Amino acid sequence: MIKPKENKSLLEREPRFEDSFCSLQAIPQIPKIQLKETRTLVSYVRKFNDEVVRPLALKTDLKTFQDPDYLPWDLVQKANEWGFYTMFIPKLFGGQGWSLPSHAYVIEEMSSACVGIANAVFVHYLGFMTVLASWNLPLINRICRDVAEGERTGNPCLITLAITEPGAGTDVEEVELVDRGKVTCYAEKVKGGYIVNGSKIFISMGHVSTWHALIAYADLKKPSENTVMLAVKTGMKGFSFGKHEDKMGQRACCASELVFEDCFIPDDCVLGDSRDFPNSQIRGTGELVNQIIHYVVEVTRASVGAFGTGVARGAYEHALKFASENAVDGKLLINHEWAQIMLAEMYKNVIAGRLAYNEANYSNSLKGGVFNFLQIKPLYYYMKFIPQPIIDVFFVPFYKLKITNWLMRQIFVEGQSLEAQKRCSGWSSIAKFFGTDMGMKNSQMALEMMGQAGLRHESGAEKILRDSKLLQIYEGTNQLNRINLFNCLIARCVPQARVFEE
Amino acid sequence: MLTTIKCELKSFEDLAHSFAAKELTANREEHDRYPFGPFFDDVVTKAYEVGLLGATLPEECGGIGQDISALCIILDHICAADASLGGIIFTNALAQEIILAAGNKNLLSAMMEKAVDAKGALIACPSFANPAENGVTLEAVKVKDHYMLNGEIDYVVLGGISGHALVPAKIKGQEGYTFFLIDTADKGYAKSEPVVSLGLHACPAVDLNVVSVAGTLVGQEGDGAKYFAKASDRMHAAVAAMQCGIMKGSFEEALDYSQQRCQGGKEIINWSGLRMILGQMAMKVKIAEMVVSEAAQAAENQDRQWYLYTRAAALHLSEQACKLTTDGIQCLGGNGYMKDYGQEKRFRDAKHVQAFLGLAPMRKLSLIRDMLS
Repeated sequence: MIKPKENKSLLEREPRFEDSFCSLQAIPQIPKIQLKETRTLVSYVRKFNDEVVRPLALKTDLKTFQDPDYLPWDLVQKANEWGFYTMFIPKLFGGQGWSLPSHAYVIEEMSSACVGIANAVFVHYLGFMTVLASWNLPLINRICRDVAEGERTGNPCLITLAITEPGAGTDVEEVELVDRGKVTCYAEKVKGGYIVNGSKIFISMGHVSTWHALIAYADLKKPSENTVMLAVKTGMKGFSFGKHEDKMGQRACCASELVFEDCFIPDDCVLGDSRDFPNSQIRGTGELVNQIIHYVVEVTRASVGAFGTGVARGAYEHALKFASENAVDGKLLINHEWAQIMLAEMYKNVIAGRLAYNEANYSNSLKGGVFNFLQIKPLYYYMKFIPQPIIDVFFVPFYKLKITNWLMRQIFVEGQSLEAQKRCSGWSSIAKFFGTDMGMKNSQMALEMMGQAGLRHESGAEKILRDSKLLQIYEGTNQLNRINLFNCLIARCVPQARVFEE
Repeated sequence: MLTTIKCELKSFEDLAHSFAAKELTANREEHDRYPFGPFFDDVVTKAYEVGLLGATLPEECGGIGQDISALCIILDHICAADASLGGIIFTNALAQEIILAAGNKNLLSAMMEKAVDAKGALIACPSFANPAENGVTLEAVKVKDHYMLNGEIDYVVLGGISGHALVPAKIKGQEGYTFFLIDTADKGYAKSEPVVSLGLHACPAVDLNVVSVAGTLVGQEGDGAKYFAKASDRMHAAVAAMQCGIMKGSFEEALDYSQQRCQGGKEIINWSGLRMILGQMAMKVKIAEMVVSEAAQAAENQDRQWYLYTRAAALHLSEQACKLTTDGIQCLGGNGYMKDYGQEKRFRDAKHVQAFLGLAPMRKLSLIRDMLS
């Protein structure tokens, strides 16, 4: 019908087939057993919701108002007991190794019960993704083994990402902006390591975490090419916690200030220094740093989309319950046609949010996406069924070898084309701002339906609205995510388009 | 709100503006901690002393005797700083308006004569509920020449801090409901702890359990819905004014912050994406000012179908305020989400104020019902 050459050129037209139908391309390649895994996980998290999240959600929120010094140790303990902190860490690093793409469904599920608690559990994976994106296997392994050990001994070990600074929020998320910003977290190279000075703010779960993936800069004037990623452990000399924020919502998840005063980080805790990155065929130093940031947000922004979808669902479920049980004007609310239309609209918002984060997930499963490697069928099944001790004996010793490091870089750094990076990052941004906008929309609608009853704390609906707003701000504001989408998927076909240059 | 068309009201603007600046802005965060921190008694006392609790109360009842425009101007400026006090002024004024609509001026003047402090002057009422819509839970029994009230009623605003409460109750065997004024010092008046709520933290509500509490009849038996409708039509203009104030406060804070905060090497106001958000906020604020002025004027002049204007104003500005205050936080990024700034409070307050006077969608439907009748 159409010659192969013509076919290729037609499909490369915008919107490109490769970017438009991620699920269609990814599903045939995905190991079948992943479906079963996802089903198991969703039912597991539903049980966790019944037994832990719902009984604690309002209680914890109230406690934070009564006691401004409250830190969520009890929650962390519970999540640790239930195995959530190692659930998605690959067996290669001592984790349970459930398929990474399933984490988004789990997030939606838990967020529908309480997004504050869901954040307290899953922001740990933002830290994990940052550590992972360094591709520094010995250190990834060391940190993840600490998490596993924490689970075994009942002393939770969580990871954070410490990137936001008092004067730089959006700036630190964009390599193109960071050189114009006011970053202050300075890492000076000294013999045997680095000395860090400065502070980080809004670090989710900082006070209760053990490892912190710290982004610092060796040259504050040119941070984009002098980015240093360090793994800082709570208790290291010169590292302390400042205040934790008094937030409007998601109060179960503390937002901490991290303070570094002549804090010495030894060489074996350096995840990476952009000045030491090996030369790349397709990326300059700044672009390599950009790739690391994008590897993280390609996953985590889609996750925030799942948080938003979960919130939208929680709001919908509250409205549905209220409408089913309360009469207005002598008739159950659910039997008013306008209310049925509103509920249908809310239902649609949930479904559409889910479709968006799903598609972003599938984009990450395609070639060049971070999930792709572990989803290669033989590797997937091998990892799934082989006992942990065999992995520990036959894989772990190789982590320190130069050739392993070279191989990782070939797969993940050189192996990710710029097109794939843009597809994954663009989709992740769509999922993020769409899902979280749906969260906001539904939580507003729920309160409109519930009126006075929804204003009360014990209704749970007002908390959903308060919780929801944060999702539009963190992990890059929704405005920055729109710009990122423009940059990744729109600007490339308009050569005269310039981003961040007005 | 545009006061230029009514220059004689400038003094109310000055009064509310300076009161807000002096008493509300600096301690907003602290006042908002209630019920987990102290209640701002001193501020309410001062508001009472300068007459903010009696703007529309007739002079013979000890009030200032102004019409709805003056109340709107006051609420607009107070809510730009802290909508909690606005909620107190609003709820109290609603109770007064219901009593006035019932033709019981004498009740108010007797009460105000006895009042020696803010508590004595304040009247609580369930200002978020339209009793006809949600059903009435209190029951009144006539015993000789007075009434005894029994039952439970939720979310009575100011019920924990006022001397009196105006509550709807059903008289056994009768259609419709009736308003009664009850004394909060009555032995059978039991109140819950303040209800922890979304917004307006310092405008607290309580749940009441009344057992054989003596009630003074307000207006005629069974005519409660009539009085509520009349008062609520006027008070919709006040809701619009509160939202206008909240919007203004949010916009001004965003405008101010975006000139200080730098990202990408320049003040964020100089990025056109953010400037567009500010432009949309400015547009909403300017329209809100016009809408409130016109709605209040229509109510004062008793223009044909004036109540459609006040209700439409409240409904529309509530929707706009909920949208605008979301952007208000967004302009401040993470800082906007923290209690250190006023933006998160305005976001909560706007949604809270939207719920005044009954379910918003039902009020929208009532527009059509009344247009057709």
